[in-house]
Amino acid sequence: MSIAVTGLGIVCAIGGDVQSVLRSLREGRTGIGPMRHLRSVHKELPVGEVKLSDEEMKRQLGQDEQAVISRTALMGAIAIRQALQDAGLDLEGKRVVIINGTTVGGMDVTERVFERNGTPGMTEALNGHSCGSVTHEMADLAGLHEAEVCTVSTACSSALNAIILGAEMLRRGEADIVIAGGTEALSKFHLNGFNSLMILDKEPCRPFDKTRAGLNLGEGAAFLVMKLTPLKGAGGSWSAYILGYGNRCDAFHQTASSADGEGAFLAMSDALRTAGLRPEDIDYINAHGTGTPNNDTSESAAIRRIFGDSIPPVSSTKGFTGHATSASGAIETVVSILALRHGFVPTNLGWRDGDEACITPYCRPNTTDSRSENHNPNHKDGPIATALCNSFGFGGNDSALIVSTKPAPFAPIPEEEGYESCVLAEETIDDVEQLGALRQYISAGEARRMSRLMKAACVSSMKALRAAGIECPDAIITATAWGMFETSEKLLRDMLQNGEEALSPTLFMQCTHNTIGSAIAIRLRCHGYNMTYSQGADSLLWAMRDARRLIETGRARTVLVGCHDEATPLLQDFLRRMGRPVPPEIYSHSIVLGRQQCIQTHQAPSPLPLWGSASVPLNEEATAMKHSPKGERGGGCSF
Amino acid sequence: MEQLINDLKQQIKEALNLEELSLEDFDADAPLFGEDGIGLDSIDVLEIIVLLEKRYGIRLESPKEGKAIFRSVRTIAEYVQANSKKN
Repeated sequence: MSIAVTGLGIVCAIGGDVQSVLRSLREGRTGIGPMRHLRSVHKELPVGEVKLSDEEMKRQLGQDEQAVISRTALMGAIAIRQALQDAGLDLEGKRVVIINGTTVGGMDVTERVFERNGTPGMTEALNGHSCGSVTHEMADLAGLHEAEVCTVSTACSSALNAIILGAEMLRRGEADIVIAGGTEALSKFHLNGFNSLMILDKEPCRPFDKTRAGLNLGEGAAFLVMKLTPLKGAGGSWSAYILGYGNRCDAFHQTASSADGEGAFLAMSDALRTAGLRPEDIDYINAHGTGTPNNDTSESAAIRRIFGDSIPPVSSTKGFTGHATSASGAIETVVSILALRHGFVPTNLGWRDGDEACITPYCRPNTTDSRSENHNPNHKDGPIATALCNSFGFGGNDSALIVSTKPAPFAPIPEEEGYESCVLAEETIDDVEQLGALRQYISAGEARRMSRLMKAACVSSMKALRAAGIECPDAIITATAWGMFETSEKLLRDMLQNGEEALSPTLFMQCTHNTIGSAIAIRLRCHGYNMTYSQGADSLLWAMRDARRLIETGRARTVLVGCHDEATPLLQDFLRRMGRPVPPEIYSHSIVLGRQQCIQTHQAPSPLPLWGSASVPLNEEATAMKHSPKGERGGGCSF
Repeated sequence: MEQLINDLKQQIKEALNLEELSLEDFDADAPLFGEDGIGLDSIDVLEIIVLLEKRYGIRLESPKEGKAIFRSVRTIAEYVQANSKKN
């Protein structure tokens, strides 16, 4: 069997559908330009905006123009609809799963309500704020009311990890059809956040160029329809096949990549290994290539470590689309598939001057400055069949995917018989008083930037690992319904009071949902699989399911699963108004799963309270997952 | 100058949450970065840039141009004295 991609949908700065994106790519036409839709004071920053207004998208989707729907959900729903139409599948009676990668979620709506300083309006805004609720809304807008819904949030690699999860579920027979990808709308929140990190360029970005000075933010959505297909008789109308993938952690720094690109190196190596390919089988690399000095150097180092002197054509297409953050992995997978199907290598817009510390990207003549004509390394005129697509995120959540137009059997998961997961240890922190234990595990220097939730997650994780007698787990999987709510709220309030200037980078770097999982990985120097789920009350179910998948297939011996949430007075007030259970200020539950020293298999951890990322006691998990993916939808999309 | 140095020490300690560093032990000439000194990192540079903008109206365009400025508290103080728009 192989994993076929049978439908594509895309909305981004260079086009509102597959055909227009393809045209822009071939003509070398960038979508980056002055800000038109985002209402930020930073007009000096070029952005890769989707050209449609919210109202235009609502009309496309048959929605009332006055309806409060986040731009993230609108773009996502349009891309899903396109992908389904392209695939032309009959979904009747099929087990359909939508897996969405996003981090910003409904922030565009939330920040508008904050601006009006209208606490009464916050109820409406917070209802659609969380990543999980955005995915539900998209599914409904796309008419997929019966589908199982999952949200992955590993910052800028979210969408690629969503596709990887989709492939895993298909391989394990957990779904018939997967619709996977990602969506992310520009928000003032993350534009200012990236600006506080001083990694935004006021000029169009120039990935891998000597003079590169940062990235341009973009936005968009892209989704793939995926299904298992027998190898025999495959081909023909199928778009492409997913051959391999890797998800690793750089475990180096919250916002910077390591000099030797360890996480990227491991992710690409895993992708090649799972695809059963050698480096020379890769015809094209779509690089993460953001245009920041740090990313491009680190990624180049990793590519050189794998490909040596025989590097295939590499390009970053962020000069076209801008960096669409959580959606970028799916947008660039679609771009890679289009390149393969139509036999061209997308040019690396903006590149002129080589940098010794960087790979030399592929630049097509006539699409950039004439000086680049002499710099076309390893240009292949022949057909290209197989591409490697990189996608890296804050916290070092690095992933890589291999797509091909050639059908190939997926290397079978090395199923090692007889493994079952068991709980080795678990710890809960649900009171601020318990944070005093932090200093047993980390120094004051390490703790000084941590928010309360980070501290709680750190204590519960370290305690559970210590109790299990494990120094470093093989994988770290995190569940969080609301993510880093306290720091996000602080940044929003800061922006409201002080405007879009002089915002704290320390706050922003702790705003992504994967901050927790990557901070623990950094602390433990854990380069293994690292994943974060944010699907409201179902978050922990998805995390446990993933952990068990890893253990039962012998790919991890130990997994640290954590479910972490916090509630500020604002969030507590919202939940009270909605008549939902009100959680404590912090709640952090860590579970160490193993496959050995298992005293009692299927031992269920203690029942969890009914809030946050864990509304269903774990011993009911199997039932909930099997019979009622839709059952949780009503009350469970966010708290 | 000494007053400015003391103010800066206090502000940096607060902004970077350096709880365990007493102001007495905070040597104005100690290197801020690297293991031989206070041990700050690139995110701290960004926070100090925010601090300078908020408190002294000094705007730096990139962390790169700040390398010499951020060597120690004294070098920051000298830079602030030369460039401050507020106060």
